[in-house]
Amino acid sequence: MINDTLSVQRAAIHRKTSSQPYWEATRERKLLLQYCPATGQYQFFPRPVSIATGRAELEWREVDGKGEIYSYSVTHRGPGPFVGQPPYAVVIVRLDVGADVIANLVGCEMPDVRIGLRVEPCWFPLEDGTHLLQFQPDEAAGTVTRSVNP
Amino acid sequence: MTLRDHVIAGFAETKIVRHGEQDVFSLAGEVFDGLLRSTGFEKNDVDGLIVTPSLTAAGHPFWAQTVADYLGLQVDFCDQTQLGGCSAVASVVRAAAAIDAGLCSTVALINADAPTLEDRYRNYSWYEEWLDPYGVMGPPGLFGFLSKRYEHQYGLDFEALGKLAVTQRDHALLNDNACEVLRKPITVEDYLTSRMISDPIRLLDCVMPADGANGFIVTRESTARQHGVARYAVPLGYGEVTNIEASRSLVDITESGHRIAGERAFTAAGLRPKDIGSFHPYDDFIIAIMIQLEMLGFCPPGQGASFIRETDFRFDGDLPLNTGGGQISAGQAGLAGGGTNLAEAVRQLLGEAGERQVRNTSSALVTGIGWLPYGRNWSSSVALILAPQS
Repeated sequence: MINDTLSVQRAAIHRKTSSQPYWEATRERKLLLQYCPATGQYQFFPRPVSIATGRAELEWREVDGKGEIYSYSVTHRGPGPFVGQPPYAVVIVRLDVGADVIANLVGCEMPDVRIGLRVEPCWFPLEDGTHLLQFQPDEAAGTVTRSVNP
Repeated sequence: MTLRDHVIAGFAETKIVRHGEQDVFSLAGEVFDGLLRSTGFEKNDVDGLIVTPSLTAAGHPFWAQTVADYLGLQVDFCDQTQLGGCSAVASVVRAAAAIDAGLCSTVALINADAPTLEDRYRNYSWYEEWLDPYGVMGPPGLFGFLSKRYEHQYGLDFEALGKLAVTQRDHALLNDNACEVLRKPITVEDYLTSRMISDPIRLLDCVMPADGANGFIVTRESTARQHGVARYAVPLGYGEVTNIEASRSLVDITESGHRIAGERAFTAAGLRPKDIGSFHPYDDFIIAIMIQLEMLGFCPPGQGASFIRETDFRFDGDLPLNTGGGQISAGQAGLAGGGTNLAEAVRQLLGEAGERQVRNTSSALVTGIGWLPYGRNWSSSVALILAPQS
């Protein structure tokens, strides 16, 4: 059984200036990504400039957050607040819009964790009203194996 | 002047220890004393200093000047190379560049770190915001991503990786400076069954933090000759790249900058991989050695495992590999650790490796890996080809 880690009390997250619009949008469980209008490229994590042009002209666009697992690792030894929590899954999700995002995979069992698995966002509430992005198997793609355990 | 008009006139290193009693200043002093003793240079001949970063001194932004002060050095060039595990190798070329620019004439490279005694590292970056909330297990977690993707694209032959682990461990048994807790033989079976950290990365894939120091004297060849240095190592070619594909959101995590760094180094040296006498790749994780074999052109991408199965990497074999045990079997002296394999390469070229001496001392290839970015391959890649001269 893979731990969904939803009971783990995360340490306070040190949020950078460039990330403020992202975190504000998570209050409404919306996923905003930076978009470079000059090149049409989305980027993640948030940065002060476009990684394509080096210029500050960036838009924030809401995306559906669907994508597939590009790579993953099931953690057997957890750091900090994750001591005693393993096994849990961390994944790189390649979003359909063209950006990679690292998060936990929840609501999925070991044999079903695989590269190429279709996933969608889900949101873990944080104490300040913002939410932490997580991913779960994409129900529409027919890959849900169980409900998320709190 | 070119890179190869400069030389590594000498090297020194301390024993690598875990939870030792010697602090980072004492380690630096031991190495500086060793450099002066082994090269015949005197303190006042040294007018440049380059240090690697130190986990012990992380948060102290005056590190290079502090080391200069502890060593009693007045210098005309004082700097720190900030490339993580690439720093020690990159410092050789930065020293040559400083000499070539007329800033100084003889540079001491002092690489010292003692993170198991004291560690003040804070990862002030995207780690805090975008990885820590997910419990990513630091470098083993990030190498877990890299390994799983490699497995998906090419398949992973864990027995071949185990062969690398065993070969390096056998070499550490012959290295008195290797950390004592690691100087015990292991088998491929030990590797395959060691404790899982972040799937598929196991304990014996990982480097073990330790304390230690190493150092080098870089000067012009003519200066080395004036000082009566009988045999020294000449840098024939070098390549360096940081943040490959930095402008793109989607990259192949299995592709490292060593393809670019290696091409530059081999082209400058006029050599090919098959010409290399001994190979001293940066080894923070076992799979990093295999990926470097592929990226540096010893074999095509995805064929590292068959190359490993066909090659004898022992010190008396076809392609001697990290003949001191590498960092994985000698211990990683914090951010000075990038100098451990460099010291071993120079030792081999000078013919001073004793019972683990390689036969082919015509050249050696040393590499560096520095820092792990967000969902990509490693950040910095360097490759340095050295040859002896006497």
